[in-house]
Formats: sequence, structure tokens, C-alpha cells
Amino acid sequence: MNYQSKANKYVCPNDRQLSLRAKLRTGWSAARSEPPLSKSEREAIAAVVKRAEKVDEVEARRVGRLVARLEGMRRSAQGPAPRTCLLCGETSRLLAPLRTCAICRNSACPKCVIDTPPHRSSIYSREQYTCILCAETREMWKKSGAWFFKSLPKYIMPDKKITGRYNDTELAKTLQEAGPSSNEGKTDSEPGSPLSIHPPSFSRQPSKTDSRKSVCLSQDHEWNETDILSHGVSGLSLHRTDSLTQRPLGLKRTSSKGSAYSIRSIRKDMPKTMTQIERPPTIPDAGFGTLEIKLAYDNGTSSVAVTILRARGLIGMDMTGLSDPFCRLEILPREGSYSNRLRTKTVHKTKNPEFNETLHFFGITESDLDSKCLEIVLFDDDRYGCDEMGSATVSLRECLKCPSQLRLALSGASGSEPTGPRLLLALCYSTKKRALVTTVCRGAELPPQDSNGYSDPFVKLHLDPDPYHKKHKTSIKWRNLNPIWNEEFLFETRPTELSRQNLTLTVWDKDYGKPNDFLGSLVLGASSKGRRLKHWMDCIKFPDHRHEQWHSLTDTQHL
Amino acid sequence: MAKTYDYLFKLLLIGDSGVGKTSILFRFSEDAFNISFISTIGIDFKIRTIDLDGKKVKLQIWDTAGQERFRTITTAYYRGSMGIMLVYDVTNEKSFENIKNWIRNIEENASADVEKMILGNKCDLDAKRQVSKERGEQLAVEYQIKFVETSAKDSLNVEFAFYTLARDIKAKMEKKQEASNPPGGRTGAHQLRANEQQRKPTSWLSRCSVL
Ligand SMILES: Nc1nc2c(ncn2[C@@H]2O[C@H](COP(=O)(O)OP(=O)(O)O)[C@@H](O)[C@H]2O)c(=O)[nH]1
Ligand SMILES: [Mg+2]
Ligand SMILES: [Zn+2]
Ligand SMILES: [Zn+2]
Repeated sequence: MNYQSKANKYVCPNDRQLSLRAKLRTGWSAARSEPPLSKSEREAIAAVVKRAEKVDEVEARRVGRLVARLEGMRRSAQGPAPRTCLLCGETSRLLAPLRTCAICRNSACPKCVIDTPPHRSSIYSREQYTCILCAETREMWKKSGAWFFKSLPKYIMPDKKITGRYNDTELAKTLQEAGPSSNEGKTDSEPGSPLSIHPPSFSRQPSKTDSRKSVCLSQDHEWNETDILSHGVSGLSLHRTDSLTQRPLGLKRTSSKGSAYSIRSIRKDMPKTMTQIERPPTIPDAGFGTLEIKLAYDNGTSSVAVTILRARGLIGMDMTGLSDPFCRLEILPREGSYSNRLRTKTVHKTKNPEFNETLHFFGITESDLDSKCLEIVLFDDDRYGCDEMGSATVSLRECLKCPSQLRLALSGASGSEPTGPRLLLALCYSTKKRALVTTVCRGAELPPQDSNGYSDPFVKLHLDPDPYHKKHKTSIKWRNLNPIWNEEFLFETRPTELSRQNLTLTVWDKDYGKPNDFLGSLVLGASSKGRRLKHWMDCIKFPDHRHEQWHSLTDTQHL
Repeated sequence: MAKTYDYLFKLLLIGDSGVGKTSILFRFSEDAFNISFISTIGIDFKIRTIDLDGKKVKLQIWDTAGQERFRTITTAYYRGSMGIMLVYDVTNEKSFENIKNWIRNIEENASADVEKMILGNKCDLDAKRQVSKERGEQLAVEYQIKFVETSAKDSLNVEFAFYTLARDIKAKMEKKQEASNPPGGRTGAHQLRANEQQRKPTSWLSRCSVL
């Protein structure tokens, strides 16, 4: 292959180039001269993808076992009490004095600690001990691959078909029950630790609420071979239209961000043989709930009427396990870059919304019925960015069938990274510092506010409520829409309080002589939802580990 | 329960078409060699579990098609890869020159933490050699990447290469872990002062673990 002559074609375009291209209404695929993949090629690739899904599932189950094991250990631990081992409860004896865990600083008996080899670069060479709970947490971080992916990958808990990452409701309850900060020092003297008073925080109800976050897996299971085969793969990650994932609704943007394993994107834009066609009208629920719709075509007005009746068993997105769902509808593939998306109203605080709303798409010809499909994506309405809860695609040919009422199984969100204006944020609850360590890593695609086409961004952050009223600010990055800060800030707090607090970040454009321009905001915490809640909970659940994640910025200022 | 493993490492093979990526993987996973050239369609992977310092490491090794027309699919697999083998053919000058392009491709698409290694394959074909070992080494030094010449045909250095890459990933993992909470109790620049009074242990929940 001669790269010289193709020099400009060689480099895979980055997100920015792709989004620019999207704006210019020129498709990347249009610029490619290679022939599309043949049927047999697509079949071969589909077979590999299927094989890989099996490997992923084995891995998700293994990680699930690790998580379960750790939770079991935590559950059976005695909890710290003066002069007793936090794990087995044994008291200090002359020949077996208690050790202090270098990570959590609790006491544990010699049987419940492991010797840690002194840190290589450490100037302290005295012996170090780690309690087996802390050791196990660290081990889990390595074994799960979280050290590389920077957060816990998807997993499936043992003995459950699909189990979510965790039950936030349960977690919240336990944390809340653990009492307000006034319990400081009190719990120690109480007979029995908070743990024994409030038993297992993670007893999992096999409810459907829990079924989030194993997202990709169950979504992948939704796939049958024909899906992949008939959709072609040449458009992989290039026609992604899920701009609403993690985006405020006001901003329309065509995202073209590619992400590994975003096999789901293959499905997009591919009109023929949609998932539902070869299947009976009722499809087994994959854990993301179901959606009932009615379709009708009117050739007089060349319109398709879509009635969204209801959804059942949606995944929970907030702390209470409920959601605020709405549906976004779109006919695919699009003609050019013109998008005609419609959305339903939001039904609040429910997992079983009744929409009963009819939406009309005009300008649909009869031949479109054969070649196009309707994509319905459910989002959780949140002012800080709407998270995708599931989606379904159905061929418009279904309009012609009787009865036209369909029940669709929703497949999970792609879990793709957010696009558009966003912040990369790392959270770590440090048990040693007793503080939430927040690292504002970087920003991307920030909106230009100055006449020179740039902004001079900085980030303000505070915790709410915060008894210390700490307010932090990053430095200003001049003329930069993709600033790198990597600045770290500490908020003194404890996990019990964290479960009630929210971290607010606002991004500003520094201007002299006039008020700073607002560039976007982000709230993570107990009252946030979806991705943001998950990030927060991961941070509480796995202290002393850095949890790094991108989050979209909202363009509205909620202060 | 089926025998399990301790770690799953995802590796990726990239390089021009025909340099021997598929053969290297075939040698490593099946310990066999096939003289005929069957062009890889898009992507493929093989699994082999190896033992590293007493830990079972499952390697999922992705093989990619070198051809441009599959580029969209293949680059989708960069991001999840912990290690990448860059392969060129010592009997093909062009494939060696293209290593730089492949490295750029990694920089644009892979995780910043990815471990890399350069393989100069087909070193059994000395008569047809176009790229000297020294040039390979020099390139590797330039990019600070490990390098070894291999032969999938003669089974030379193939095991070594994969073990080395896996070991490097494991070392990086251990290093990351140490850095995240060093047993010595010293962390980065933002360590709070020790005068943050050594309070007596407070709520269990606020300590070792939340749950
Ligand atoms: N002599 C020799 N031939 C090799 C070696 N590795 C691969 N080949 C041959 O090179 C051709 C291309 O190999 P293949 O693995 O398909 O290359 P890929 O396109 O990079 O996957 C095949 O005919 C192989 O038999 C090697 O180490 N020595
Ligand atoms: Mg090949
Ligand atoms: Zn003990
Ligand atoms: Zn500990």
C-alpha cells in the first residue's frame, strides 16, 4: 500500500475533524473511495464480533465475582472498634499486637493484615501493613482492569441473569441510615459497628431496576447474526447520531465519535432487516424494559403516525431508582444531514411511563417504508444532560402489517463517551486525607466566546452543602477550547456526607472589564442521575481510587 | 467452576498487509505456521492464557487487516487495547517506513497508557532482507519502544515478544496501583499537612470502606 500518495487519507480522522465534517454536511464515507464491504466480509466480521461478545461476558462474570467477593468481605467485617481487629473482632494480645492499616488506618490483627513491601521510592523503610479489606480492594482494581480503563468495567453479579452495578437505593439508604455527621466518634463506642446495625448494604434484589450498567452485554445479546450482517459495517462509528447521549437537548450536534466496541452504531442508519423484523412481535425483555407503540401510514398525506403508548420496566436513573423518561424518534437513514427528530413529553418519576402520544413524520413515501426505519431512543430527562436508557429500532414496513401495535424490547445504551463541550474529571475519596480529591483534568470542545474564536476558560467548583464553604478555582487557560488543567482540589468531607452532597462545576471564560462569560456547568452527586450519579457512587463505593470520566457540560446555569 | 484467570489483557497486532501479523498470532496461539497468505477480513482474535509470576493472564489478541478499507473497523479496537504490537516485514522496506504512520495512528486512537512493541518479522528470509536489524533498533530507540526481530515461520522470538509485552503491561499495572495509594503514605504534591490532626478513628463508614 502506498501511503505517500494517500498521505491525507491515511490518518483516521479524530473526533474534531469528524464533527467538523458533520457540520460541513460532507460525510466521511463520501470521501472514501474504497468499495463497501461485501456480504461475506460482513458475515465474517459479524462472526468475530459475536465470538468477542462471549469473551466479554465471561469477563463480566469474572469481574462480577470479584465485586461480590469484596462485598461479602465488607459485610462480614466487624468494623473498627478500639483495640479490636476491624475484620475478625479479635482484641489485642501481648504476642499478637494489632497493626495499623497503611491505607485506612484502622487496626487489624496480624491474621487480618498482609505485609506490604516498603514502597520502592519510599524513604521510610519501616514495615507496612495493609488490612485484607484494603488489599482486596486494590486487588480488585487490578484484576478487573479498572486500573487501565480508569473505572470499573461492566460486570455481571454471580447467580443473577443481569445485575446492575449496584443498587443505588440500597446504598443511599445505608449511607443515610449511618447517620449524619454528628455520629462522629459516637459509633466507635457503640456496641457493634454500624455495619452490624445496618446489615448488608448490597443485598441485591433481583429487580429489574438493577439491570443497568451491564448495558453492553445484554445489548449485545439482543443481536442476532442477521442484524450485523444486513446492516453493513462500513459505516461503523461514522454515522452515529446519538448526539443526545449525555447532551442537553438544546444543542443539536451530530456526533461522529468512534468508540471501541460501538457495534451498536452499525445498526444505525441501516434500514433493512431491523432487529424486529425477523422476530415475533413480542421480544423477550433484555433487562432494559419494553416499549409499546402503534404505527400507521397515511398515503394521502405521506405521513407516518407513531403512537408511543407506554414503556415498562425501564432502568432507574436516580437515587430512588426512578427515572424521568421521554422518547426521541427519528427516521433513519437521514436524507443528507437533515434530521427530523421528534420527542415525546417527559413523564416524571416512573419506570413505567404512560406516554399515549402520537407524533407524525411527514414526507415519507411508500418506497421509504421499505427502506427506512424508525429509531426510538429513551432518555432520562435531566437538566444536567440526558442519559440514554435504551433504544429500539423498527422497520417502517411494520406500518403495513396488522395489527400495527408492537411491543419492542429495548436494548441498552451504548455507553459511549459524551461529545460536545465536556470536562474530564477524576474523583477520589481519600480515606487518609478524609477528603474528596477532585481533579479537573481537561476540557474539550468548549464554546468560543471571544471575538478571536477562542475562550479563556477556567473552572470554579464547590461542594454543596459544605460546612467548610470551600470554593476552588482552576487557573485560566488562555485562548484554548481544549484546555488541560490537571489541577487537584480537596474538599474535606466523609463518605456519609458525600452521599448527600453535590459537586458543582462551572466553566467560565475570563474577560477583563466585563463579567466573565458562562461556558457550561456540571453537577455530580447524590441528586444527579445516570452517568453522573454512577461516577459519584463509584467514588464513594471504591475509596482511595481515582475514578476518571468525561461529562458533558450543560449550557444552562443552575445556581 | 471452569478454570479462571487473574487478568485479562487485550492486545492488538497492527502493521501493513502481508507482514505476517496473522502468522505471528497463529504461531503464538496454535504453534503452527501456514505458508499460504489468506488476507484477514477486518478483525479477528485469538485467546491464549499464559502464566506470569504465578498469575494466569488471559491474552485476547486482536488481529487486524492492514488494508485501508477496513480501517474504520480496526481503529475501533485501539482504545480498549492495553498492548499493541507494531509489525513490519524485514523483506519489505515500505512496511518498515510505514511503522511511523502506524505509531501516529496509535497516538490518535489508542489509550495513552498503551504498551507498545515493534516486531521485525520474517527474519528467517535473510537473502531477501531489505531492512537491517540495526535500523529496526534505531527506530525503536527513537520512539522508546521495545523491539525484536521475529519469524513466525521458524518460531523465533514470537513467544518472547508476547511474554515481554504482557510483562510490561503487568508492570505498568503494578506501578499504577502503587502510585494510586503508596504504602509509604506519601502521595503527590497535594498531600495535606500531617497537622491534619491524628483524630481517633471515627465512623467506620468514613474509614476503610464505605460499605
Ligand atoms: N518466511 C516467512 N514467511 C512468513 C512469515 N510470517 C508470515 N509469512 C508469510 O507471509 C505471508 C503473509 O502473512 P500473514 O500472516 O497473512 O500477514 P498479515 O497480512 O500481516 O496478517 C504469508 O504467506 C505467510 O506465510 C515468516 O516469519 N517467515
Ligand atoms: Mg492477516
Ligand atoms: Zn483479625
Ligand atoms: Zn485497610
